[in-house]
Amino acid sequence: MTATPFERSQTGRMRLHVMPTKRFKTFAISLYAGIPLAESTVTNTALTPFVLRRGTQSTPETLAFRERLDNLYGAGFGFDIYKRGDSQIVQFRLDVINDQFVSSSTSLLAAALQLLGEVVTDPALESSVFRSKYVAAEKVTLQKRLEAIINDKIRYAAERCLAEMCRNEPYRLHALGRLEDLPEITPSSLYTAYESWLGQAELDLYVAGDTSLEEVQQLASKTFRLPPGDGTAYTKPEISQPVNEPRTVTETLDVSQGKLNMGLRTNIGYADDGYPALLMYNGILGGYPHSKLFLNVREKASLAYYAASRLDGHKGICTIQSGIEVANFDQAKKIILEQLESMRAGQITELELSQTRAMIGNQLREMQDSAFEMIAFDFNAILSGKTRTADELITSIESAGVEDIVRVAEKVELDTIYFLRGKEAQQA
Amino acid sequence: MKTLNYPLVQETLYHEVLPNGLSVYILPKKGFQKTYATFTTRFGSVDNTFALDGEQPVRVEDGIAHFLEHKMFEEPHGDIFATFASQGASANAFTSFDRTAYLFSATEQIPANLTTLLDFVQNPYFTDENVEKEKGIIEQEINMYKDNPDWRVYTGLIDALYHKHPVHIDIAGSVESIRRITKESLYQCYRTFYHPSNMLLFVVGGVNPDEIMELVRRNQEGKTFGESPNITRTVETEPEQVKLEVKRSELAVSLPKVLFGFKETVLPADSKELLEKEVSSKLMLEALLGPSSRLYQQLYDDDLISDSFGYEYNSSGSYGFSLIGGDTKDPEALLSAIRSSLEAALEEGLNAEDFERIRRKRIGSYLRMLNSPEAIANEFTRYKFRGSDLFDLLPLYESVSLEQVNERMRDHFNWDQMAVSIVDRPTS
Repeated sequence: MTATPFERSQTGRMRLHVMPTKRFKTFAISLYAGIPLAESTVTNTALTPFVLRRGTQSTPETLAFRERLDNLYGAGFGFDIYKRGDSQIVQFRLDVINDQFVSSSTSLLAAALQLLGEVVTDPALESSVFRSKYVAAEKVTLQKRLEAIINDKIRYAAERCLAEMCRNEPYRLHALGRLEDLPEITPSSLYTAYESWLGQAELDLYVAGDTSLEEVQQLASKTFRLPPGDGTAYTKPEISQPVNEPRTVTETLDVSQGKLNMGLRTNIGYADDGYPALLMYNGILGGYPHSKLFLNVREKASLAYYAASRLDGHKGICTIQSGIEVANFDQAKKIILEQLESMRAGQITELELSQTRAMIGNQLREMQDSAFEMIAFDFNAILSGKTRTADELITSIESAGVEDIVRVAEKVELDTIYFLRGKEAQQA
Repeated sequence: MKTLNYPLVQETLYHEVLPNGLSVYILPKKGFQKTYATFTTRFGSVDNTFALDGEQPVRVEDGIAHFLEHKMFEEPHGDIFATFASQGASANAFTSFDRTAYLFSATEQIPANLTTLLDFVQNPYFTDENVEKEKGIIEQEINMYKDNPDWRVYTGLIDALYHKHPVHIDIAGSVESIRRITKESLYQCYRTFYHPSNMLLFVVGGVNPDEIMELVRRNQEGKTFGESPNITRTVETEPEQVKLEVKRSELAVSLPKVLFGFKETVLPADSKELLEKEVSSKLMLEALLGPSSRLYQQLYDDDLISDSFGYEYNSSGSYGFSLIGGDTKDPEALLSAIRSSLEAALEEGLNAEDFERIRRKRIGSYLRMLNSPEAIANEFTRYKFRGSDLFDLLPLYESVSLEQVNERMRDHFNWDQMAVSIVDRPTS
């Protein structure tokens, strides 16, 4: 493993990160576009990629645009919208096979970058704004996506817990925006918002595959027609928030299984020196099947099928999630709080330390086998402003001891307890 | 050890059947950090009635294959997850209709981890107490799925399609059926299905095939197994017609979920036919209903489908069916729109241009799948258990003809063989 496999350059406002490698059967392409998460822009930004994926100036009809993707040997094209730190990030992905496996007359990498450049910077328009048909349809699609959050109760409970916890911060916002903003959006207002987004967003284009920085630079500078300006840097997220008393929020829905979630402020972020110890904290607490939550809530007490913790490192938030019988709420809560207390008290065995180190190290090493995972890891450095290679992170984790983890635990504050319960069980 | 070369996909596979009957496959991936191994038995949820060595056939409880999977992780000295964690491996398992797979991925201590995998699966340890304890955990797993509308609509369709075939029974069983499971019934299933001759080991990653094969040989030589058992699986005769035309379930969902599917009436004569049928069915479904089809675009424009719309084709030697659908505001209108459009398509058949485009797309997604060691190991095992080879798919995709796909289409879409599953909000 070397320091960083990416070679870097810049074209206009967009940073380029290229990993030349022959290990994969495809070219993996990711474009990250991030802006600060804010109420005034969150819905427009979320709606934009939905409209952009409908067609480009040269291929304006959606059907023809999708046929174009099929003809690139079914290039995997998609986008994600999420929040990291205090940023709202739109990620476009393209995975296109290396030409050597098929009898293709043109370069599939060139065709893929051409397509992505068109999607992001040269969309299908009418009267100099977005096509009204596409905007109308994608507003409905986004509305359905927002309304469907409730269908998956595990995700719903996790997001409700975060929203309650961060109710006074931009982080309360859902990455897909707000339902109430949708009716006001018009093709013209969205196009104005898009132009401003494209002019302000941090842009990072990653390519991994059998290519070179020179080739990508040459292709990207031709196919992305970006507004002028230079790239800047992501703004630092707000990590610390005062916590007084933990709040308990209970919600009733028609469910068979109760969902007990907790939100913790760790007061440590990705860029902080304490981050490797925070990774260890989360791993020992609930990141794995050997962790305290899994062992005590599931294996010892048989209360749950899943009981785990997850780290949102860029925001410094650790969340706990479990699915339990509603009647077992008090018992499950008590066991979870005991685990938090034992972390503070430093009740961490040598075995827990070595198992967790081995698991985190393994994850960081496994990452090297997936182009998209290596890209995502490298992007952490861009987003946080803190460069830390996988090797360096492994070394820091190896040296993090019980006292370092206790130091983390002392900073961790329980902020919110969220409980989703069923209707019938309430009467029982 | 045999060497199998697949020049079209640039892969080399090493294979040996050990004296005890265990089938071992090793796929070295140059430059990969990770090793991924699956140890799989041909025992899934559909194997619920069987006879061992001419004994009387037994009907075991629903969900027992999955229950057994959970219990394998417990050893006399404790939980095997802890052993894997100490060796830096991430371990897991899953049970499907036709198999149970145990797996790990790791970047270090591969010999130790492989030995742990072989040893824990070949060392059952069930007690009255540990079997009882697992029931609470699996009950929560069942309840978790009960709240998941995608799972409910999926299993609802299979239940509507089949009267007798055990594919219609939930893989995890029911809260009632798992309560009746005992350590004796678990041992009975273990003895029947976990003999090495009924199992397949697949190792993929940055490994040396000679070393891995030698390790497996030695490990197996050190253990004694009885004669390879003679297993007779019984499947009741399944009537041609579907069991229910429509199955409805109620859950708090934002929009109704609908899936409909067609039950095959003619089962494939052999594994070659099964594979051809699967390939032509998938091409047909993508061409007619994929995101780049006219029908998809029309349904999307008419607001009858969303991005959740999709299809699946599921088949084995004893069953075969399609699943088509997603979220819709109007299940009836969606079905009638699809029906009239499909009828026209059956008349006309696919045209050569669309067919070639879809063929390219499928080849591309097949090659992209080969970037993933996990997908290779799991898919290879699935195909091998059905008597075919994952790496033979590329030539098959290249040779399948338009006529074959058109014939498949007219064969499959038989309206008398259709069932519908709907999940909607309670009407009250």
